Amino acid sequence: MRGLGWFLAALGALLLTVGVSAAVVLGPDSRFTTGPHPVDTSGTVVLTQPGVIGWRGLQVDVLVEVPADKPVFVGLGNSVDVTDYVAETQRLEVTSFQRPWDITTETVDGRPGLPGAPTALDWWIAGSAGLGGASISVTLPDETTSLAVVAVGATNLSGLEVTLAYGPRGGFAASLGVALLGAGVLLAGVVVLRGGAVTAGDEDDDLEVVEEIVYVVVDEHGVEREISAAEAEALGLVEDAEGDDEPVGTQAAPARMLDDDPERASRGGSDDGSLDGVLPDEPTPGPVDDPAPSVAPTSSVTTAPLVEEDVVYVVVDEDGVEREISTAELADYDLEEYELVDEDEESPR
Amino acid sequence: MRRLPLVLLTTALLVAACTVPQQRTDETLGKVAATPQEIDAVFERYATVRDTAARLLSPNPLSIIQTEAVLDIETGSFEMAQRLAASDPERDDPIDVQRTYTPRFGSYPLWFVAVVRDEGREVTRVQVFERAAAADPWLLIATPETVLDAELPDLRERDGAVVRVAADDDAGTGVSAQQAADDYAALLADPEAEVATTFAEDGFVEQVRAAAEQNRALEGVGFEQTWEAQEVRHAVRTSDGGTLAFVDLSRSDTYDVPDDVTVTWPEDSPQRAFIPEGLSTTGTLLYRHQVLMLIPVGDEPPRVIGQFGGVVGAEGF
Repeated sequence: MRGLGWFLAALGALLLTVGVSAAVVLGPDSRFTTGPHPVDTSGTVVLTQPGVIGWRGLQVDVLVEVPADKPVFVGLGNSVDVTDYVAETQRLEVTSFQRPWDITTETVDGRPGLPGAPTALDWWIAGSAGLGGASISVTLPDETTSLAVVAVGATNLSGLEVTLAYGPRGGFAASLGVALLGAGVLLAGVVVLRGGAVTAGDEDDDLEVVEEIVYVVVDEHGVEREISAAEAEALGLVEDAEGDDEPVGTQAAPARMLDDDPERASRGGSDDGSLDGVLPDEPTPGPVDDPAPSVAPTSSVTTAPLVEEDVVYVVVDEDGVEREISTAELADYDLEEYELVDEDEESPR
Repeated sequence: MRRLPLVLLTTALLVAACTVPQQRTDETLGKVAATPQEIDAVFERYATVRDTAARLLSPNPLSIIQTEAVLDIETGSFEMAQRLAASDPERDDPIDVQRTYTPRFGSYPLWFVAVVRDEGREVTRVQVFERAAAADPWLLIATPETVLDAELPDLRERDGAVVRVAADDDAGTGVSAQQAADDYAALLADPEAEVATTFAEDGFVEQVRAAAEQNRALEGVGFEQTWEAQEVRHAVRTSDGGTLAFVDLSRSDTYDVPDDVTVTWPEDSPQRAFIPEGLSTTGTLLYRHQVLMLIPVGDEPPRVIGQFGGVVGAEGF
C-alpha cells in the first residue's frame, strides 16, 4: 500500500507539474504564436515542400499580410494538389522549418502566372483570400500537406509577412485537465499513504479495529453522559478497568460500547460527574426541566427493575373461586394450611 | 478497488493521447482521387450540363464535363440530332450512381470509376472521370455500356482505394492490358491476324465484322477498315486478381467510290450527319470506340463486356 501511495503521489505531482506548465506556456488560446516574419520574395507563390509540415492533429493559424492591400490567398492542401497546381510557376519553396521560425527556402523557376485562380479550386483543405491579408485556421490532417501563399491577379508577394500560431486544439483546457488529474492522483496517493500508516502490514487492505471502551451513564433525567474509566471504576461500575475489556456495570445488564455510535457518545458528556448508571439498552425517559443530579445509581441501571420481591396471596373460597388478597387481609384468614406456588410454574398463583 | 485509480488514470491518458498532435512518419505523397462528396458534386455538375446540352440540342456545353473520345462521340451524336432536328428526351433521364471506385494517386492525373444506371435507356455504364491537372475540372473520359449478360467483377481495394494496374502489368493474367488492347485491335482489323491473345467471342466483334462485310459488298466501291488501340491509361485490379481495362480504339473506314457512284447512309444515321450528301469520291469516316475489357486471372481468355462508340469525324470527301 505504501508503494502504491508513493507511486500515485509521484505520478500526480508529475502530471500536475506538466499540466500547469503546459497551461502557462500555451495560454488561454492554446497557441504558440510567432511573427510576423518577413518573407523575401517578389514572385507570386510561396509554398512549403512536401514533408515540411510533418504533424497531424495540430491546430495551425496562419496570417499572411501584404502591403498596399494587394489581393492574396493562403491555403492548405494535399501536396499532390498543391505541387501540381504550381508545377509550372515560378515560386519560392520552403524546404525546411524549425520552430519557432527558422526556415530555409529555394527559388524554383517557372512561368510568372498560375493555371487558374486559387479561389476557383475545390481541393483546398482550408483556404482564404483577402485584400492586404488573409488567414486560415486548420487542424493538420493525417496526409502530406503543403501550405501555399498565392498572389491573386496580376500582383506579387513582395512585402509578404507571415504570422504563425500553432498548438493542440483545446490544449489549454486539456492542460488544465491534466493538472487537475495530477492533483487528484496526488491526493489519492496521499490518502493511500496516510491510510497505510494505520493499516500497514494488512495485506487484505482491511482496517484494523481498535476497540475503545466508552462508559456512558444515564442520569435520572434520561440524559446520557460519558464518563472515564476511572470514574466508572470509582462508581463501582468496573471490576477491572485495566485488565478486562468488557465493561462491567453495577448490575448484570450489559453496557453498550458507543465507539460505533458517535451521536450517542456525544450526548453522554457530563460536567459534574453525576451518574445514574450505565446506559441501558433502551433510553430512559425522564424530566428535562429538573437538572438536579441524583446519586442513586441502583434503580435505573438494571434492565430488570430491582423491586422488593412481592408475595401474592390467593385464597380459594368455599365456592372454589380463586381470589387474590393483600397481606393485610391475610390476617383475617385462618390459614391452617397453605401451598407455596412458584411463579414460574404454570399453575395458578 | 485498488486498481480503480490506475484504470481511471490510464483511460484518461489514452483519451488525452488521442487528441494530442503527433508527428507524421509517412511523408509519401498520395491522395484518394476524390471523396464521396466531391464525386457527388461531379455528378451533379455532369447532370446539369448534360441537361443544358440536351435542351439546347448543342454539343458545346459538353466540353466542360467530358473530353477525348467521349466528347467526340457525343458531339457526333448531338450533331446528328441537331441535323435531324430530333430531340433526345432520354438524356433528361436521371442516372443512378450505383457504385464508385477511387484509386490512390501520388500525382496527377487523377481518376475514378463509377458504375451508373441509365434507367431511361435501360443500360448500365462503367464510367471513368479524370482530372488531368489540379487546376482542371473533372471530365468524363470513358463510358462503355455493359452488354446485357455481363456481370461486373468486384474490384480489389486496399486501404479504402481501388488498386490500379499498370498498362504493361501481366502479373497473374499472362497478358497485359496494353497487349490485350493491341491484339484486340489487330483482330478487329483482320480476323485472321496472328496475335498472342485469344479472345472470347463477343457481340461487338461480330457486329463490326458484319458491318465491314456489308461495306465491302458495295458494288464497285473499295473499302478498307483499320483499327488502332490507344494507350491504356485506366485499368484496375479485380478482386480475383484479374484486370478490368478501359480500352480506347480508333477506327477508320475508307471508301474509294467510282465517279458514277454515290455512297449514302440512312437518314437518321450518325454517318449522315457528317456526310449529308454522301460519298462520291474517296473519303474516310473516323470512329472512336471504347471497350471494357475483362482480362481474367489464369488461362481464361479476355473478353469484352462493354462498348461505346460512334462516328467522330469525316475527311477527304
